[in-house]
Amino acid sequence: MHAKKLLAAVAVTATVALGIAGCAPSGDGSDGDVVTLTYWSGFTGGDRQAYEDLIQKFNDEHENIQIDYQLQPWDSIAQKLPTAIAAGSGPDLATPDYNVATIQQYASNGLALPLDDLIGDGDTQVGEGILPETVTDSFSLDGKLYAAPANYATLLLYYNKDLLDAAGVEVPTTMEELQAAAVTLSDGNGQYGFAIPDNATIPNWPVLIWADGGDLIQDGCSALGSDATVGTVETWAGLIRDDKISPIGATGQEAQDLFAAGKTAFQINGPWAAGAFTEAGINFDVAPVPVGASGSPVTLASTVPTIVSATTKHPKEAQEFLAWWLSKETQAQLSTAAAYAPSRTDMADDPAITSNPTVAAFAAEVPNARLYLPTEMDFSKIDVDIFTPAIQSATQNGNAAEALAAADGQLNELLGC
Amino acid sequence: MTTITAARRARPRTQLRAGLLFLLPSAVLIGVFVIYPIANSLWMSLHDWTFFQTTHEFVGPANYLELLGDPRFWNALGNTAVFTLATVPAQIILGLLLAVRLSRARWWTSLMRSVFFFPVISSFATMAIVWKFVLSADVGPTAAWLRGAGIQPIDWLHTPNLALGAIIMVGLWKNIGFTMVILIAALQDVPESLNEAAVLDGAGPWGRFRNVTLPSIRQALLFASIIAVIASLQVFDQVYVMTGGGPLFRTETLVTYMYEQGFGQYRSGYAAAIAWALFLLIAIVSAFQLRIFRYRDVD
Repeated sequence: MHAKKLLAAVAVTATVALGIAGCAPSGDGSDGDVVTLTYWSGFTGGDRQAYEDLIQKFNDEHENIQIDYQLQPWDSIAQKLPTAIAAGSGPDLATPDYNVATIQQYASNGLALPLDDLIGDGDTQVGEGILPETVTDSFSLDGKLYAAPANYATLLLYYNKDLLDAAGVEVPTTMEELQAAAVTLSDGNGQYGFAIPDNATIPNWPVLIWADGGDLIQDGCSALGSDATVGTVETWAGLIRDDKISPIGATGQEAQDLFAAGKTAFQINGPWAAGAFTEAGINFDVAPVPVGASGSPVTLASTVPTIVSATTKHPKEAQEFLAWWLSKETQAQLSTAAAYAPSRTDMADDPAITSNPTVAAFAAEVPNARLYLPTEMDFSKIDVDIFTPAIQSATQNGNAAEALAAADGQLNELLGC
Repeated sequence: MTTITAARRARPRTQLRAGLLFLLPSAVLIGVFVIYPIANSLWMSLHDWTFFQTTHEFVGPANYLELLGDPRFWNALGNTAVFTLATVPAQIILGLLLAVRLSRARWWTSLMRSVFFFPVISSFATMAIVWKFVLSADVGPTAAWLRGAGIQPIDWLHTPNLALGAIIMVGLWKNIGFTMVILIAALQDVPESLNEAAVLDGAGPWGRFRNVTLPSIRQALLFASIIAVIASLQVFDQVYVMTGGGPLFRTETLVTYMYEQGFGQYRSGYAAAIAWALFLLIAIVSAFQLRIFRYRDVD
């Protein structure tokens, strides 16, 4: 009787233990000559097919390296990746975050592999100076490169051709023209001229501020209190509050939905939105972001970094994949499929880019594009606790000067100025 | 005789051992997935623990002291308290009203009970997305109808003074069914004899309700209110989906703040401190509730 009960209890414990063990991620694959690399990717959005097709192409072209492409939501990756890498059981490749500054965290904590083999003249390497400087600067720490760009997007001004034509408004080329056009195209009753999101979005407000010569951080200290920054925010906040050109407190998705519903004439967005707007049947086009008081064209660059795990067993093969990803052929296909600008600076005249007007438009802005808080380790705190509340206060309460002065103080304290 | 006594003595011991062994799998699971993470989070809260680091500095109570001086923490605590104070009494009272109305078995009471219970079992995240769409002042059916009728829709989720009200309303919609079901069960157990005695003594419907029904369902009311308070203090789902804690942190609650600090700013130690502060709060409030309901007293 003892033995049976003991056996039964042990059997149940063993089953449970096996069950728990089964939940652990499987180790890397090295089946004979074929190296399998696991790649955790966050590209679950409308452009995911473009990425999946390219991964398939890589797998077809490479007999000895295969990519196991695993899609996951961004916050899922953020929660699991650091501990997985530290434990040696993580993927070989990963897109840790769509925020560029996260790379600084990964690099300084020894979680990302320095990509020493990526840049060079070899067949499976990317030439020196091919990647945009903004990208290599923000992906580097202490002179070593820790990530490669999975994509490179710029923002353009989307406009609804029907709404502009009906009101007889020309496509604006300066910020003043955009402001006037936005007022004309708003009716104060749910029809907006220019929907500007301020949270959970690809940054819009920084673009408006940069256009007028302002900034968030300049020379390592806060520029939030500068005349240019305050003036710009005051102007736009006034238009939003008084002329109702935009809803207040909108998220990026809400602003995008408004454009897709034909309820806003202008929207600043990236190439990923084009598909959604086409599907929604909007008669739209894109134009460069209008030039502001600074006199120079400027827009936002957005790039998603791909890292190689510091604990990968196949560093060479992983970097070979990254070099393939950054090759002209791959970048041309990615640009055509998803309207991203190529991540290379030597493809401006490439027929694949120039033949597609939307792609060409986004690619043309690459020299004018800036990254948002690319090297600040505290970028999340700056964005969530300091910058966004100041903007929201300016639009909700109309106190731009006060709110920005307070934010200026907080940011300087954080930066140690 | 000896055999029987010996057998009787032997049975409890082997039963005990067998019982413990059968508990072992559950104990292992609970130990690994519940007790260890709880203990680990307490450990984390005493360190300067950033997500990416592999070594962490012990800082003792520094995180907790930082909490005390953190305006965002107090704001979140205030919002959580307002949410709880608004939802729990309403949930109990409305749940009780529904339970009384639906306690008798008519052909339609079953249907209505299901209607009110459905939100309880539905996926909150999904429902919150739908609510966000319904409450939108720009894209959504309500906005379309109102604008069509010439009425300016209220932008609930983007107006600082109204957003928390919308969160409270959705929370009530979600949980009234739960309270209702508990109280329906409790109402079935009210002794009919007491009711009849009360009628004989000349008590009207309100008198019966106050002197017979309410005392009889006191245990269930206590249970429902404790569960409601514990759940309300941990409100997260609808805030995360509908407002993200905004506008201007007016709907940020303790759990959304904890989530943002832990997974948005990667400050795991600080987030753990918030979690333990919340635990302390829930423990104190629950102890207080049990005390004032005089749980120990048996009628």
